[in-house]
Amino acid sequence: MLGALHLSALPVLASDISVGLHPQAKLGPLTIDVDTVWATIIAGLVVVAFGLVLRAKATSGVPGKYQLLWEMGVEAVQKQVDDSIGPRGAKVVPLALTIFIFIFVCNLFEVLGIGSHFEFLPAPTSDINLPLAMALYVFVLVEIAAIRTRGGIGYLKHFVNQPFSLWMFPFNLFMNLVDEIIKPITLTLRLFGNLLAGGLMLSLLAALVIWKLGPVPLGGLLAVPLTVVWKLFDMAIGAIQAFIFALLTILYFDTAMAAQDH
Amino acid sequence: MADASMADAVRIAGAMVGGGLALGGGAVGAAIGDGLAGSQTIAGVARQPEAQGRLTTIMFLTVGLCEAAYFINLAFTALFIFSLYKK
Repeated sequence: MLGALHLSALPVLASDISVGLHPQAKLGPLTIDVDTVWATIIAGLVVVAFGLVLRAKATSGVPGKYQLLWEMGVEAVQKQVDDSIGPRGAKVVPLALTIFIFIFVCNLFEVLGIGSHFEFLPAPTSDINLPLAMALYVFVLVEIAAIRTRGGIGYLKHFVNQPFSLWMFPFNLFMNLVDEIIKPITLTLRLFGNLLAGGLMLSLLAALVIWKLGPVPLGGLLAVPLTVVWKLFDMAIGAIQAFIFALLTILYFDTAMAAQDH
Repeated sequence: MADASMADAVRIAGAMVGGGLALGGGAVGAAIGDGLAGSQTIAGVARQPEAQGRLTTIMFLTVGLCEAAYFINLAFTALFIFSLYKK
């Protein structure tokens, strides 16, 4: 029954394609996209399961392949943090690693989609709410790190006394505020745009093939190789965007924790 | 009645043309940015073949950032074409 709903919600005409259509529930004054929450919970459980399996298999003797994979990942992130921030950035490593693995798992859910309006497991990063929440979380943490490094007064002063002299403080304030606000906005839109485009392309491929080749016998099956090719490309894009989100998190912490002024 | 459908037509046309412009500009920018990143990578590898691994990693990073601008444009185009043309 759900399978019929899944298939019947495929867009047949290009004008059927809708963006941002989610099954919604109201929680008091808030509207929640239920499928995004559902997919986020599943992605979180998958990441936690990876960690628990690692803990069960971890050994200080000769490591197995799974443990080697994890060690490579953790060492890559540690090396990146060391190169960018230095030894005081040790607390950023778990955050960056978790962000990378979680976003990568979320992006992989895109591969399970067929482009219909009703997906069992949509990529939760294709809804703007999840990237926005993660970007705001990273933004708050970065500002807290900046306040801790510079002190409260120093943090407020750095908005007005750089990059030009204190007499031009409106201009300084404007530039620094834009600089700060643009970080969570671009983090969000970059990740969301990439994943939305992936899902939209699946809908377009499905609609195009059904519309043009529907009358031809078995013509609709042409959607399968086309979507497979697109999904391979989408997996690479998902991995790159997860890496970029984690790397930019590390770099934003670097600029926040840089103790010198100017 | 004629005024309403004229206003509708203008709104739909504006949404479509705006979406097309956003997509076109974004594609040109992304292509030029990716091309510059790739050309510098090729030059670097030609100069120093053993640096290929590191240079390729940085190239993919830059490609990801350039494509991000394009995908932001694509998200806005999707907004224009699929949502904003309705009332």
